[in-house]
Amino acid sequence: MQRLSIIFFTLIITFFLLSNAFAASKKTPLKLHPDTSKIEVKHFNKQALDKYKADKDFNYNGEAIGKPSLWEVFWSWLWHKISGLFNRIPYSGDILEYLFIGLSVAFLAYIIFKSLGIDPIRLWRGEAKKVNIPYSESLENIHEINFDEEIERAVAQHNYRIAVRLLYLRCLKQLSDKDLIKWQIDKTNSAYLYELTNPEQVQTFGLLTRQFEYVWYGNFSINKQAFTNIDLLFQNFKKQLP
Amino acid sequence: MEDEIFEQRTDLGKLNTAVEQIKATLAKIIVGQQGSIDLLIAGILADGHILIEGVPGVAKTLTAKLIAKSIEAKYSRIQFTPDLMPSDILGTSVFNPKTTEFEFKSGPIFGNIILIDEINRAPAKTQSALFEVMEERQLTIDGQTYKMEEPFIVLATQNPVEHEGTYRLPEAQLDRFLFKIEIQYPTLDEEIAIITQQHQQKTSDQLSHISPVLSVQDIVSLRQQVKGFHVEDKLLAYTAKIIHESRNNKSLYLGGSPRASLAIINAAKALAAIKGRDFVTPDDITHVAAPVLRHRIMLTPDKEMEGVTPDDVIAQIIQKIEVPR
Repeated sequence: MQRLSIIFFTLIITFFLLSNAFAASKKTPLKLHPDTSKIEVKHFNKQALDKYKADKDFNYNGEAIGKPSLWEVFWSWLWHKISGLFNRIPYSGDILEYLFIGLSVAFLAYIIFKSLGIDPIRLWRGEAKKVNIPYSESLENIHEINFDEEIERAVAQHNYRIAVRLLYLRCLKQLSDKDLIKWQIDKTNSAYLYELTNPEQVQTFGLLTRQFEYVWYGNFSINKQAFTNIDLLFQNFKKQLP
Repeated sequence: MEDEIFEQRTDLGKLNTAVEQIKATLAKIIVGQQGSIDLLIAGILADGHILIEGVPGVAKTLTAKLIAKSIEAKYSRIQFTPDLMPSDILGTSVFNPKTTEFEFKSGPIFGNIILIDEINRAPAKTQSALFEVMEERQLTIDGQTYKMEEPFIVLATQNPVEHEGTYRLPEAQLDRFLFKIEIQYPTLDEEIAIITQQHQQKTSDQLSHISPVLSVQDIVSLRQQVKGFHVEDKLLAYTAKIIHESRNNKSLYLGGSPRASLAIINAAKALAAIKGRDFVTPDDITHVAAPVLRHRIMLTPDKEMEGVTPDDVIAQIIQKIEVPR
């Protein structure tokens, strides 16, 4: 079977080659026919050429047409000086070219990044952007409240909840005045607690903070006796301060 | 001293005991990670699903398994792979030749605590299968709705998205997770303690002897208790301002959803419970803001390129808003 298929393929290939050879023998040589038609020579219109040459829009060589302006004289002088400077260096022409290409690419990249709102210099340094936080104005500035007066008024009205709040705010002011904490509207009570370094102050301020939180955030009811006890704690804390 | 002035109005004894028991159970195996453990417990008390992210080898799965083991409930584990199909999770209807009817064969999602390991290794099609069950605690298959048993908690672990073979989870799914807890590398001392513990072969023995400390009924009743905690109106407004600011922040392409506002309040209540209070303070809100928001917000491409992280932006947002006092 294998032998038969080899004979079959040999016959096919032989037939193909013979048919090509037979077709090639039948081809006749090609003959060239010369073009004998009459040629009419046309000339450019000189006036039109001069007009185009005078038009700076068609000046692709960059050569000055007519008298150069002062601005052009200045730039020509500047470029002359710069190229004079670089001509002293071997391969300066290439260096200058690559320098300008590099600067152009960098400038283009800078413009693109800036338009996207990205600071490319920070990106280069791998720094995260630091955002300046515009603080919304505090409704109450602890440095502007007359605490003694306000606490007295709250106690007189039996509004002990407000009175405890004012005691706590006054305590924060006292700590801030003595530079033990840095008052900021976004700081939580525990943030102030962490700022204190004296262990005794930390313990007492922690206790005062809890009292304030129970009253102010926990909505625990408070009577005159409880207020007196809390007031006493605040007074003792004031004595601890330097 | 405070006890002399203010008497506790809520009995937190059972809750405190439960929290201490879970912490003690986890501390037997897990070294450090106190912050993460607090958030995990808070997540369970707040009736939320938790996504745990970390590089390979920081005990994400082990932590989740231990939490699941400390609760006596029906536990399932699903390993997410790229070829996982929705029916592999939810279940499918199978033809029964005896009855000549289709019968529903429930998938591993039917349980109380579902540990989904490497959740971001499955594509979005598979993730979509979890949308209904995570939010509504029910499944609808072939027109039939199946309610999940309470409690239903999904604890999912994932590698950071930059890692090989991971997909970014759809925003709709991320929003369904109460927290995204990031497990960091241990400190040097913690690393030494881990090696020592393993070297003494304590871990393998203890893992098999972990026994549940809470029942399903305990979890349900503790959640009810936490839900009733007091939150001042000004703190609700404070939370709303944080979320609102996240929507207007120029560094963000996508801000927090109303679901995020609710999540912050629920999580803050649970954290207050862990700290032994029955009311929320601004500290609780700022503490949970980052784990609640970090997976829900999306940075603008330029901020991402600058290396700004979601946590940076959340910190900036919180700094803009006055703490109610």
